Amino acid sequence: MLAYVARRIVAAVVLLGIVTVATFAVFFLVPRLAGATPQDLAARYVGRAAGEAQIQAAAERLGFTDPLYVQYGRFVKGLVAGAEYDTGASVEQCPAPCLGYSFITQNPVLPDLLDRLPVTLSLALGAAVLWLVSGVAIGVLSALRRGSAFDRAAMGVALAGVSLPIFFTGLLTLSIFSYGLGITAPGGSFTRLDENPLLWAYDLLLPWITLAFLYSAAYARLTRAGMLDTMGEDFIRTARAKGLPERTVVVRHGLRAALTPILTLFGLDLGLLLGGAILTESTFSLPGIGKYSVDAVVQNDLPKVLGVVLIGSMFIILANLVVDVLYAVVDPRVRAG
Amino acid sequence: MPPPGYCPAVTAPLDVPETTAQAVAPVLVPGEAVAGRSPWRIAWTRLRRDKVALAGGVVVVLLVLVALAAPLIVGLLGHPPQEFHYEKIDPDLQVPTGSFGGVSGDFLFGAEPVNGRDLFSRVVYGSRISLLIAFLATLLSALLGTFFGVVAGYFGGWVDTAISRTMDVFLAFPLLLFAIALAGVVPDRAFGLSGDALRITLIVFIVGFVNWPYVGRIVRGQALSLREREFVDAARSMGASNRRILLTEMLPNLVAPILVYTTLLIPTNILFEAALSFLGVGVRPPTPTWGGMLSDATRWYQIAPHFMLFPGLAIFITVLAFNLFGDGLRDALDPRSR
Amino acid sequence: MRRTRRLAAVALGAVAAMALGACGGPSTGGSGGGTGGGGDTAKAEANAGIGGIANPSDAKGGTLRMANSSDWDSLDPADTYYAYAWNFARLYGRSLVGFKAAPGKEGAELVPDLAESLGTPNADATQWTYRLKPGIKFEDGSVITSRDVKYAIARSLDKDTFPNGPTYFNDYLDLQGYEGPYKNPNLDAFTAVETPDDRTLVFKLRTAFAGFDYLAGLINTIPVPQAADTGARYKEKVVSSGPYKFETNELGKRFTMVRNPNWDASTDPIRKALPDRIEVAVNANADDVDNRLFSGDLDVAIEGTGVQPAAQGRVLADQALKANSDNGLAGFTWFTVLDDSVAPLDNVHCRRAVLLAADRTGYQRAYGGATGGDLATNLMGTNIPGAQQFDLYPSSGGTGDVAKAKDELNQCGQPNGFTTSISFRAERPKEKAAAEALQQSLARAGIQLEIKPFPAGDYAKLYAGKPDYSVANKLGLKVYGWQADWPDGFGFLAQVVDRRVIKAGGGNTNLGIRIPELDARIDQALGETDKAKRDAIWTGIDRTVMENASVLPGVWAKGLLYRPPNLTNVFVTGAWGMYEYTALGTTRR
Repeated sequence: MLAYVARRIVAAVVLLGIVTVATFAVFFLVPRLAGATPQDLAARYVGRAAGEAQIQAAAERLGFTDPLYVQYGRFVKGLVAGAEYDTGASVEQCPAPCLGYSFITQNPVLPDLLDRLPVTLSLALGAAVLWLVSGVAIGVLSALRRGSAFDRAAMGVALAGVSLPIFFTGLLTLSIFSYGLGITAPGGSFTRLDENPLLWAYDLLLPWITLAFLYSAAYARLTRAGMLDTMGEDFIRTARAKGLPERTVVVRHGLRAALTPILTLFGLDLGLLLGGAILTESTFSLPGIGKYSVDAVVQNDLPKVLGVVLIGSMFIILANLVVDVLYAVVDPRVRAG
Repeated sequence: MPPPGYCPAVTAPLDVPETTAQAVAPVLVPGEAVAGRSPWRIAWTRLRRDKVALAGGVVVVLLVLVALAAPLIVGLLGHPPQEFHYEKIDPDLQVPTGSFGGVSGDFLFGAEPVNGRDLFSRVVYGSRISLLIAFLATLLSALLGTFFGVVAGYFGGWVDTAISRTMDVFLAFPLLLFAIALAGVVPDRAFGLSGDALRITLIVFIVGFVNWPYVGRIVRGQALSLREREFVDAARSMGASNRRILLTEMLPNLVAPILVYTTLLIPTNILFEAALSFLGVGVRPPTPTWGGMLSDATRWYQIAPHFMLFPGLAIFITVLAFNLFGDGLRDALDPRSR
Repeated sequence: MRRTRRLAAVALGAVAAMALGACGGPSTGGSGGGTGGGGDTAKAEANAGIGGIANPSDAKGGTLRMANSSDWDSLDPADTYYAYAWNFARLYGRSLVGFKAAPGKEGAELVPDLAESLGTPNADATQWTYRLKPGIKFEDGSVITSRDVKYAIARSLDKDTFPNGPTYFNDYLDLQGYEGPYKNPNLDAFTAVETPDDRTLVFKLRTAFAGFDYLAGLINTIPVPQAADTGARYKEKVVSSGPYKFETNELGKRFTMVRNPNWDASTDPIRKALPDRIEVAVNANADDVDNRLFSGDLDVAIEGTGVQPAAQGRVLADQALKANSDNGLAGFTWFTVLDDSVAPLDNVHCRRAVLLAADRTGYQRAYGGATGGDLATNLMGTNIPGAQQFDLYPSSGGTGDVAKAKDELNQCGQPNGFTTSISFRAERPKEKAAAEALQQSLARAGIQLEIKPFPAGDYAKLYAGKPDYSVANKLGLKVYGWQADWPDGFGFLAQVVDRRVIKAGGGNTNLGIRIPELDARIDQALGETDKAKRDAIWTGIDRTVMENASVLPGVWAKGLLYRPPNLTNVFVTGAWGMYEYTALGTTRR
């Protein structure tokens, strides 16, 4: 068991390493393939009165003229040991782990990300609780009343849910509930949990519900399928034959078996969501990591983009790791394989 | 959200047995036809009985026809998609006059704020971009996924390890972010292309490329189990080359799952393309795209809700139809899921 | 100038997109919706804040709540280039001279602030002398000396540290190679500004500059104590010389300001300083800001660009809301540059064909219709004292003259029209609408446009403002906009039409106008000490640019500003084209 976990952790770290190389290569190669010179890259970071000599100096100072592997080496060194950036006038510190330094906003990327993490975390966790509970509940009920009107209605809604883009449902719910009826917070509202828990929940209610609607649909479908599968298995029949109450049979035996793949998916979704709440945050104008990353892309601020991609990947890999380990705990066969 | 690349039926856990994807295929063993009813016939019979799936299929066909016949339809029922109609716009408020965005027999979906373009025509033309990109990107994903999936599953060993790890790396990326960043840095003249042609090619490649592991993973799982089957063993013992086994024994038996999962990938890719356009890195204006229209509508939805409603519904209906049809197809081809 | 240049930074798909320039202006003629509407009280009247003061009051106290739907480029006076930032900076900093806090055109007049009087030039206006008032203090109680002002100017020269701020001192001071205190800590090497004593400053220029007082009014002359300077970090803790000092400052989110006890009202002819406290939220959602203004949860939308389209609909439709709004001319002119190095636009007839074929009402609609601005016929709007309006390319209703356009196309040797590209800033929906409208109307004459969006942050540096890129990618037309750095001809035109400011490396604000005969006239205007003669030269330059058909004028911007009823002493100043922030008060206690 321990050996398995250790193996998975090593694999995750290696994976993260590969992701940094790939990300770095793509974002540093693509602009060059597209014809941008190191001077073009540097031109964006100097004042508007800059002459060509100044741009050239900036390109050299910022290391844009170095070969790719040198730049990557510098990046990894920053990640491990911190880095210093010469902005021309002063030398800025970027303490380890240094995810990069934005020359546009003149600050390290990591503190920015940590600053926005609570928004994304609040959004993701709140929605996750909602969708997990509602999705599983609906799925179980649907499975138990297979073919009933409830089942068909629920599955119909669920299918609609997975077919809707959030940048549509978000606008729709905003226009109805926030601007029409005025019962939920308008777009762009966020209050920190530690400042005012009630307001925190009120501000996030609409994004939570909208997001949860899309996800719970998938969970309802998966739960239903899983329940239908397991409820037909021998051990359920055995349990029933033993005379256990139906409630116990469903919850203790049926749901438990069906829950494994759901938890798996849940872990992965949560990782994905933390890594890319881009559309949700754009639609609701929430100042989280997703919106930050879109802004970074819009401004072509590569150090920020790189930082966000890495943080996003980290969440996904972490979620995978947790899922793998949990899976091994639940299902001994996995460990052996 | 669901994030692009997220397709509930397809998302298989990393490095755990492909629980959701197992045994989807009716295995086509040569000479297995029982009483003249091939698995395909059985599947077709099942599919025919599934009214919901058929309805989805009909809508899909209609949508494709609409996209193909867009100039004809717009010629009959609308105005050219780029034509301005200032007469439809209130000069102070900038939104169309008339109820609900000026919906009328002349302007079936009303007019766009500011310039009064015919929203119906733009939604109809938007289907072309949406479907074209989704189909081509899915095709690319399917080709890449099938190739690498079969190779990984059949050969196993280090080949499998290499391909599987590569897929892991792909799945570990925040793909949407990656895609918008990539679509944002490509200049507007590259690979000898420019304008819409370049943007469409670019997005097809980005979407198709980031999604292939979803197909690859499933195909690999299937190939892995097929490899151990008797008829493959038999072919191998008869001295068939790897190439021959792959093409004539494995591939035909993989057609069903590939078909199912590519069908289910289409709606995901439609959403992905819409997301890219929504975030401003899709096909360039003034070419109409559904996501682009929704993006424009964000400034207007409080006072001109029709502008967001029609393109939004277009995405919804299209994606739903593909999902219904794909679900039905899977049910028909996979007895276990019934 | 491009004070909204980096508004671009706002999210792509988000509702926050805005592109309007500053708004409200000294158009006392009420070119907006007139003064109709009159609310239920005599006080609240539409456009009361234009040319007059709405809700005048001297009552002190209360908290002023402001919100910004994007963010400052920097709170550091050396590093900011937004009109609203220059307006707002007066709350925490005093420059040598400054614009009078008065409605309309009067607000565009300079008065002494730190200095005892406006500058004293030598005979040929190459040397200017200012003398500080005695006893003006920083927030810590230390007396402000001429060296503090000199240091502030010195540090603002360093564009590696402060890439955003204006570069006039770099351009016009006789620097002798001095690059700022970070690269050369010896301030005595900065001989272009001399401080013979603690209260005297002498500026030495490279060339005659008759309007130097405008430079002395730039926020760059807000004093900075050398001991407190932390370079690029100074924006986190700016030392106040104005009526308010920073209490808390969470960059990118919010900050609060409280009274500066060491500010002495008797030395200050500009600031009223009515509220006790100012709270500012940053990166708010633009639609949310409007709704909070209407509901009374907020007092001022800091960018001063007017409400969003949704709110505009509500204000225009609701008499009560309209009574609390101002809609007047602002400093911005929205226009499209015709790059004369991109064939066939190197031929004046082809350029004229573009100007004649364009439907300018479409341009106006793109920027919000009549509420968003007046149809522009030339570059400088009437908000600039001395500017004149004239139309060299008239057409009925401004919708274009296709027949004449085809005639010009014949003379250009392109009888069937031609194809070129039009660029705009991707994050600005109004520029996109303008590009699409031009594509439509120019097609009537056979001129085909390919539409190309570019990220706003790099628009000038890598794309539209980079000559070789423009030629290689055939960017013949470039959607753009400009507001004067200060309200005179130089402040508006110099950075936009002088071919000598075009640099091959990019980053240009002149997007491709090269008219050799302007060189001498611009230099002549620089040295002309008689204001009336100077204005006449600039008007002539404006006319030459139009004769050359180098610019397709679009809109003289207006914005719809909303003033909540509790806001007192509200008026639009001619200096900034938005509410004067130093005058505002609130009745909310």
